[in-house]
Amino acid sequence: MIELRNVKKKFGNNEVLHDVSLKVNDGEVVVLLGPSGSGKTTFLRCINFLERADSGKLNFEGKEIDLKKARKKQILEIRRNSAFVFQNYGLFNNKTALQNVMEGLTAVQKKSKEEARKIALDTLDWVGLKDKADFFPSQLSGGQQQRVGIARAVALNPKVILFDEPTSALDPELVGETLAVIKKVAKKGITMIIVTHEMSFAQDVADKVVFMDGGVVVEEGSPDEVFYKPKEERTKKFLARILHQDMYYI
Amino acid sequence: MGSYFSSERFLERIGQILPYLVVNLKMVFWSMLFGTILAIGLAILRLKKIPVIEQILVVFISYMRGTPLLVQMCIAYYGIPIVFGNLFMSLFGINLNRLDSIIFVSIAFILNETAFLGEIFRSSILAVPVVQTEAGLTVGMTRLQTLFRIVLPQAIHVAIPHYGVDLIGVFHNTSIAFTLGVLEMMARAKTLGQASGHTIEGFVVVAIIYIIISLILKGLFCLLEKKLNTERR
Amino acid sequence: MEFNYSYFVTSFKQALLYTPVTLKILFVTFTVSFVLGILIGAIRFYKVPFLSKFFSAFVTVYMGIPIMVALVLYNLVFLTCYTDFANFFHISKKINEIDQIVIAYVALIASNTCSMSEITRGGFRSVDKVQFEAGYTIGLTKFQTFRRIIFPQMLPVISPGLLNLLIGMLKSTNLVSTIGIMEIMVASLYPCQETYSYLEGYLAAALMYWIIGIAIENLGHLVEHYSDKYRKKPI
Repeated sequence: MIELRNVKKKFGNNEVLHDVSLKVNDGEVVVLLGPSGSGKTTFLRCINFLERADSGKLNFEGKEIDLKKARKKQILEIRRNSAFVFQNYGLFNNKTALQNVMEGLTAVQKKSKEEARKIALDTLDWVGLKDKADFFPSQLSGGQQQRVGIARAVALNPKVILFDEPTSALDPELVGETLAVIKKVAKKGITMIIVTHEMSFAQDVADKVVFMDGGVVVEEGSPDEVFYKPKEERTKKFLARILHQDMYYI
Repeated sequence: MGSYFSSERFLERIGQILPYLVVNLKMVFWSMLFGTILAIGLAILRLKKIPVIEQILVVFISYMRGTPLLVQMCIAYYGIPIVFGNLFMSLFGINLNRLDSIIFVSIAFILNETAFLGEIFRSSILAVPVVQTEAGLTVGMTRLQTLFRIVLPQAIHVAIPHYGVDLIGVFHNTSIAFTLGVLEMMARAKTLGQASGHTIEGFVVVAIIYIIISLILKGLFCLLEKKLNTERR
Repeated sequence: MEFNYSYFVTSFKQALLYTPVTLKILFVTFTVSFVLGILIGAIRFYKVPFLSKFFSAFVTVYMGIPIMVALVLYNLVFLTCYTDFANFFHISKKINEIDQIVIAYVALIASNTCSMSEITRGGFRSVDKVQFEAGYTIGLTKFQTFRRIIFPQMLPVISPGLLNLLIGMLKSTNLVSTIGIMEIMVASLYPCQETYSYLEGYLAAALMYWIIGIAIENLGHLVEHYSDKYRKKPI
């Protein structure tokens, strides 16, 4: 179980997170929704200490950690038990797809090269990219790069995977293949926290939807509750706007 | 006009001057070796932005980049014995005034290279996108692991063309070492000229040697760059 | 031997006195090699038949010669050959009537023109092909397109390179001291010949160069900022 309590974060005078709390059970898929600038991405980055929160507590598998005062060792432990999927893929440019997936297995988990190679190849196969194993990121399409990014995360066998808008940098026709792989991860029963703008995907995959706006959690509940019976005015407005946009696309 | 340039003398000069190329290359080797090591330290220190140290480094780099190497060389030549002379005399019994001038010239070269290469390395590290570091950290690597496994290999790739240009620059700079009495190609050409009364051929030989070695170095770095590029793409 | 402050001040005053000389050498070298550099850069970019091949070979080879070597060699050729040369062409000027600074200019300008042409060629390449075509389609000539459209867009791209080259040039003016031309370093060493204490002289020269270098750098950043204005997008 992962629990965050009272997370606050300021950039200069701009308060991005104003007391955000979230509880995620094992195996649960949580989708964070909200307009841009609502603090979703910052919140996700705080969990992995890519941003240092100004205050707040993290309970990771029963271990209590202060987000502000966490020591190097604690941060490393969180990072070694979690994985992150970046908006712009964040693949290591100097390594092939296979090496990207192997990197954490050998350098962090200290697995032997053969073992790491086997796991990496299996995982690449699982995301449908076995034939691209020896390609460098620059030789892959955006969708393929992101699938390698997901494979890199899954191969580490983490307790939780954090997705930061995994499809928003992709061309529209490449979004589908990537979402399909994320659904596959969800079916594996891995705990996931996903920031996304893909509404129908969120409905499909989420156990819980959290709507954020202006640095606070406005509303949370099951996808049905939030999408079809939103209680808060701000949620309704946001959904109406997004649904309209979707209609224009069709 | 034929009397100024004789091809016989020209051929003779090649054999007389070429062995001294080793002296120039030695200066290049030592200044690149120590310059590179110190520059890596300088780049990392500057990236850490430690107050006071940062300001000192900025002044050091500005001085090294803003003043002529010839002046820096002379300051090292006259200044080091004055500042460190007594210390070396009492500690090791070495009279710094007696040391070969090539040592002072090399020290000036090394310090100069530290500043230039340091800036090349620093900007190369900065050229690697932040997300590369972040990706390394999220995979669970330590900062040091991320630096050595992910960031530096990419930074080196960025730095190599600049490093090549800089190396050729150092090679060219060794041509001013003769002004302090270092016995290298220029000095040799000069003494040969004074002894025979025919100077031009010697300096033409020096110019041609410089051209050929520069082209070879340039070619080598182009090859290296190409090799790295095909590995990547 | 100790560092003597008053020697240093005397040397620095001498350096200050000869700063205009160095600045003049710098200015002439920069201006001439800038014009020639653009010309050669353009010849190579527009692939002018024969000339572009010639200059590309010339620049590649000539950039292998250190300025110091060129300077010493040209000076030597001048000293040994001039009298016969003048007789042959019936030039009445005697060798001692010619200012040696001409030699310095030839060496400095030749080397720097080569570097400059590399920079400007990169500048030409950085401008989008469409910009040339757009110029031609509204009826501008090649030269008009260059002057009105291409050059202003090149400038912000090449200006960091120009600034680096200019600082390098300033430092290379120091080398002309070796063929006996008065400039900052020679001037600041002048008092040292009486005191036999050279460190102060060199330090004074270093300080003077450093000050000029910093001034050029700041001036350059100002120009860069100005020439870059049109590229700032309103966001």
